[in-house]
Parts: sequence; structure tokens; C-alpha cells
Amino acid sequence: MLQQVMCSALETIVNKAVSLNIHPNDQLNALDQKTLAVKLTELGFPLCFSINDGSILVTKLIARADCTITSSINTLQTLKKEQQLTELIKQDRLDVEGDIKVAQHFTSLVETLDIDWKTELAKHIGDVATHKIVQLSKTVKNKLVFVSKQIQADSGEYLLHEKRLVVTSRQLDHFNQGVLAVDLQTKQVENRLHQLVERFHINSKG
Amino acid sequence: MSSQENNHQDDSSDNTTDTTTHFGYQTVAKDDKVSMVAGVFDSVAAQYDVMNDLMSFGIHRLWKRFTIDASGVRPGNIVLDLAGGTGDLTAKFSQLVGREGQVILADINSSMLNVGRDKLRDRGLVQNIEYVQANAQYLPFEDNTFDIVTIAFGLRNVTDKDMALRSIYRVLKPGGRLLVLEFSKPEYELINKAYDFYSFNILPKIGKIVAKDGDSYQYLAESIRMHPDQETLKTMMDNAGFEQTSYKNLTAGVVALHKGYKF
Repeated sequence: MLQQVMCSALETIVNKAVSLNIHPNDQLNALDQKTLAVKLTELGFPLCFSINDGSILVTKLIARADCTITSSINTLQTLKKEQQLTELIKQDRLDVEGDIKVAQHFTSLVETLDIDWKTELAKHIGDVATHKIVQLSKTVKNKLVFVSKQIQADSGEYLLHEKRLVVTSRQLDHFNQGVLAVDLQTKQVENRLHQLVERFHINSKG
Repeated sequence: MSSQENNHQDDSSDNTTDTTTHFGYQTVAKDDKVSMVAGVFDSVAAQYDVMNDLMSFGIHRLWKRFTIDASGVRPGNIVLDLAGGTGDLTAKFSQLVGREGQVILADINSSMLNVGRDKLRDRGLVQNIEYVQANAQYLPFEDNTFDIVTIAFGLRNVTDKDMALRSIYRVLKPGGRLLVLEFSKPEYELINKAYDFYSFNILPKIGKIVAKDGDSYQYLAESIRMHPDQETLKTMMDNAGFEQTSYKNLTAGVVALHKGYKF
């Protein structure tokens, strides 16, 4: 039943996306009564997209497919241009059975999808609210970018600062030399004190 | 409650005669059942879809989707959606058979048929759908007409199920298949008890509030319990002449999809 849940969700999303496309869905007319089956290596079942009068049905009915694509999710993510289809086939990353034109039309359909989110949002909450939300989202985005850059800079500085605290061998040598110099000076002061004490004793006896 | 229902289930094949049958837990004259079932569906037709969503938490859509996937429907097929009610299966089949195919939405109840017709027309599905008011026992079609026959949540309301199965077999083309989606017997006792509680205590109350008809939904719960279990229905399909009959339990057997072929 999970497969049906996935098909159902996908069908809703795909049809919504197509209905919101700001460009005319000419490719849908070319695909009318056609079915593209997609077999993904990650999924254990085929996803079949059937077009009928401008709406898309997602089923598992592979027997009615005009074209079957076998690939992986990663490969399909790279497929953004119609021309890439041939390249991916040559690279054996994608296998196409049946009418390749159906696959090309589907790729073009995905390529031409362009949704004007601002207009769609304004239909539900009004122009003013949409403008405010867009402004707010821009401000939040800018703030987030700033905070992210600040964090990056601070963390860089912090790491450099920590690096300075680490004692290098040169610094250790310098420290050791300093200690020896202090030791020498202490001994000199000690000798001087001894001499002064001896002189004081001699003077007091005389 | 459940033991009582189990007794009814056990008796389901015993206490009917040539002239009597079940109407929920009641035994009624066969001639009366059609009009009694019609009364139930006349009453609930307007709220049928809303109630289906409420009662099944929307899962009925997935059960129907599973049926479509199992049907193997192709462009150009002729499909009979028997007891098709408000046309959920017809809508999908109509899109899948394409312009060369055809879907007949048949129901014995004119109220349900009218609701289904209005709904599908509102969705712009008009090209390849026909509507026929028909009794499943006496299908008004020629022999060997359909590639696929489906009956979803309808068989349990049919007065003579064996006769209906034989009638369906007659109108199927050789190579055609029947899909019966129907409530059945849950696989686990715990689910069975929870299901009984829900069916007899909650479901009629929802029906009373939403469809203003608690009695019809009491009948629904009772008719589900009186319906043959998975194996019995499979045997009935075998006896009607279907071959390679099989069933798949959905939602732990709350619903089962039976499938059989005519060769």
C-alpha cells in the first residue's frame, strides 16, 4: 500500500505543478494518451505517468507504457536538458525502451516548468500580505546570509587564535634561553650577595 | 459483541434458503432485499463520498488505487465498473482506457448513479463513459463484452452473489478478469476486535451525525460481517467458472481484493 501512497502523492504534486506552470503546457498535448514508465533502481516498482486530456495519472501499470526509462534517482537529477538524454544513454547511465520521443517530450515538459510563487501566494492571502511576506523572507534571507558569514569568519578566527596558543619548538627554545639567562643572572646576583656579606663581616671585625 | 457477530458469520451460509437471504443480521425474503438495500443507498447517496473518507480515514482511495494497479488496464479496453456508485474507479479507468476504450458505470441504485454521473461530468469526464442502471445478477450486456469487470464494495449488497458472479463471467471476454474489492475478515484477532468495536459503536454514530442516518451504517457494519470471508469468496468465484483466482489482503484483511480470469 506504500506504493499506492507514493503514486497518489506524486500524482497530486505533478498535477499541481503543471497547473501552476506560467508557460503554456504544449508538451502535454503532444503527450496526450501516452504513458512514460520510469523504473528507478532505488524503487522496487515502476512509476507510470499517463497523460489524458491535460491531467497526469501516476500508476504502476507498466504494460501500457509507450516508453520505459530505467535509471537511478541520481542520474535523473542530472537530467535537466533534453540534449542530456542522449549523453546519459551513451554513458549507459540511462536505458530507454520504446518511443524515445515520449521521453523527450516529458523532459521538455519538466524543463519548461516555471511557477510564479508570488502570484500564487497572492491569490490566497492578497497582494499586501504577499509583499510583506516576500520582504520579510528577503530580510530573513539576508540576515541568515550575514549570520552564516559571521559564523564562518568567527570560527576561522577562533581556529587561528587556538593555533597561536600551541607552543612551537622555536618558542620553546626561546623560552629555555630566557630561563638560562635568568638562571645566570640569579647566580651572578647570588655571588654578588656573597661578596657583599663577606666584605661586611671583614669590616665589622676590623 | 464480537462472539455474536462471529456466530452470524458462521451461520452466513446456513440460514438462507431459496426464498430468503440476509439483510445485515436480519433474514429477509429475497424479493425484499433489493428494495431494502436501495433504501439504504437512496438515503446515503448524497453524503456517500464524505462518509467513505470519514469512515476509512481516506484509505478507501488507496484500496481503489491498488485495484486499478492490479487490473492491468490498457488503452482501448472496455471496462464495467459494477456497483460503481459515485464513480471513483470509473474516473481513473476512463483516463486509462483512453478515447478508444470505454467504461460503463453500472449501479442498481439510481440515486447513486445520479451522484456518480454528476460528479464525473463536473470533472469533465464525459467522452468514454456510459451509465447503466443494472442488477448484477441480470447484467444487460451481451456475452464476452468486457475486458475488465470491477465490483468495489458492492458484492455484499447483492442478493444472490453466486448468480451475480455467473452473470459477470458471462459478460467477460475470454482473457478478461474480474476484480472484487470488498470488506473481508481481518487477519489478526486484535484487529478484528478493534474493527468490531469501531464498526458497531463508532461508525453508526458518524453516520447519524454526517448522513443523518445511523441505521444505514448499522446495516453497513452488519453486512460486512455477513459477507463471505476471503477463502469462501475465492471458492465462490471458482464455482462460477473463474480461473487462476487469487486474493490479496489489504490493511490486514479489513479489505480483500479478489481477482479471477475467464479463459
